[in-house]
Amino acid sequence: MNLTHERRFVFTMAAAGCLAGFLWTARATVEAQPRGKAVYDARCVECHGSTGKGDGPSASYLVPRPRDFTTGKYKIRSTESGSVPSDEDLIGSVRRGLYGTAMPGWDRILPDGDITDVVQYVKSLSPQFAVAPKSVAIGPGVSSSPTSVARGQQAYEKLQCGKCHGTDGRGTAAVATMFEDDWRQPLRSADLTEPWTFHGGATSRDIFLRFRVGMTGTPMPSFADAASEADMWDLSNYVVSLARKPVWSMDADEIQQFYARQGAQAKADPVTRGAYLVDTLGCVQCHSPVDENKRVLPGMKLAGGLLLRIEPFGDFPTGNLTSDKATGLGNWSNDEITRVITKGIRRDGTRLLPYPMDYGSYSTLTPEDLNAIVAYLRTLPAVSNKVPAPTRPFLPVYLWGKFKMLILGGDPPMVFFAGNAGTKGAQ
Amino acid sequence: MKTFFKWALAVLLVVAICGFGAFLYFIPPFFITPPEEFGKAMADAAPGVADIADPAEGAIAARGRYIVMTTGCIGCHATNGAQGPDLTKYMAGGGLKFQTAHGTFVSRNLTADKETGLARRTDEEVKRVLRSGTFTDGHVVPGTVMPWPVFSNWTEEDRHAVVIYLRHLKPIAHQIPEPAPGNAITIPGAIEQDYAGKDYGITAK
Repeated sequence: MNLTHERRFVFTMAAAGCLAGFLWTARATVEAQPRGKAVYDARCVECHGSTGKGDGPSASYLVPRPRDFTTGKYKIRSTESGSVPSDEDLIGSVRRGLYGTAMPGWDRILPDGDITDVVQYVKSLSPQFAVAPKSVAIGPGVSSSPTSVARGQQAYEKLQCGKCHGTDGRGTAAVATMFEDDWRQPLRSADLTEPWTFHGGATSRDIFLRFRVGMTGTPMPSFADAASEADMWDLSNYVVSLARKPVWSMDADEIQQFYARQGAQAKADPVTRGAYLVDTLGCVQCHSPVDENKRVLPGMKLAGGLLLRIEPFGDFPTGNLTSDKATGLGNWSNDEITRVITKGIRRDGTRLLPYPMDYGSYSTLTPEDLNAIVAYLRTLPAVSNKVPAPTRPFLPVYLWGKFKMLILGGDPPMVFFAGNAGTKGAQ
Repeated sequence: MKTFFKWALAVLLVVAICGFGAFLYFIPPFFITPPEEFGKAMADAAPGVADIADPAEGAIAARGRYIVMTTGCIGCHATNGAQGPDLTKYMAGGGLKFQTAHGTFVSRNLTADKETGLARRTDEEVKRVLRSGTFTDGHVVPGTVMPWPVFSNWTEEDRHAVVIYLRHLKPIAHQIPEPAPGNAITIPGAIEQDYAGKDYGITAK
């Protein structure tokens, strides 16, 4: 075939254009990664870790745990079950944040360019993104009406949602509410009456997507084969209708009733209340040994041994709070545990330092809450981890330190973490 | 007789030094008041909620007060006076400075002051710090400095209660320096280092 000059010119130009376009796109992706990495290193490592494995220094204390980016598994997607999320899904999650978790919305904090760059970088952490995401076509949806909600309730029963979420959506009468995700981290089935905790948003479209494509890495499957699209829309409308009033929308009487109800629940189930208190008062942050990257050693939560060096008073390893009889709290009476929490007096009668164990503040806990904490600590699986007694520096150094602080009015002590001292997990 | 006095004086001196040493040895470290009383007094200093006009806000703030008190926010967010923490300046901050590899952080003013306190921030901005350690300018405070990873586990309703309570604290003007970039720690094995006893706020001239 003989090309005329004109045609040859057009062909060459088109080919050059394609090539330039390809190179430009490729370059943009390659360039986005260093820029994205800079954003990632500044904003994301505290939770997601420097390698993206979801194991940053703060990760051990968070429920749910931060996403491990190296596996390509994401809960919040608009793409087919088993597929990676689309760029829009990831950008949406970064922009909006994930409700009910520690992931903040970065919209208006980071410029748009940074968000797209960091998403490209995060994608580069998993080989799974080599396969393009399979998007899902969604119909117009079914708007909410009493009949749709009623049909949704039938679908809720038919699809046995209550097995995990309870007959009332709050976990009541559920077969199980605690699970493990693919990373063997604890996971609680969502309380469907609290839409402000739905990670991916609480519109009926958001909820529909969770049914349609499932939540990868968790026991929540895709219902695409088990239910029709219309069923899933009805189900979404039903879940939206389950929402209860949050405390910030209640009037004074409702608030009093709400707190009374919570108190009654705590009394009926002190272990759950105690777990909440231990997780939120910060016991875990000192009483769990950590590795050099500040991650809690596996299976050592609350097993003690983290060494606090308090100058000039000496080395103070934190206690083993598990139910082990020889090295933990197994042989302590309830009163002895309560006494050390509220008065700082150990089982042998010796006293703790007034800091960092903040027993002054804990002494203002109600007796019910103290009982709940003790009840929860009793349920911790026994870990044999013998923690040595505190050591004091050379006596004159100790006395001089105290003299300087109390009599000369010097600065109170410096505190820092100095490794692990327990027999298990010692460094 | 003279030698007797000399000896007596020497013995007295030794006894006095030993006695003083024993006194130093047996008094509680940090403060001369027994630590549990001191700590409880710090916690109890949280202002009550009886004078909040709106009954709904009062009920929520009561829950917030309980959480703030039991969690011990005042342990870091106190203001130091000449004789230790000055509890009349409840939660005005500046009592602690954290020098870490990620920056230098001074405990902030949590009172409702419009110029230097939390009144400058929206509810969502305060909640974001308590949930994610992320400030509006995008910096993330390490979880070993401000224990937000454990406060992240509060239910959203409890976090709301904490914010409502902080909104009702008496405003106190106390400027706190912004976080400064990191200065590498030289103590091996140290994760953090804190240093208290002074006012690290910017004192008004």
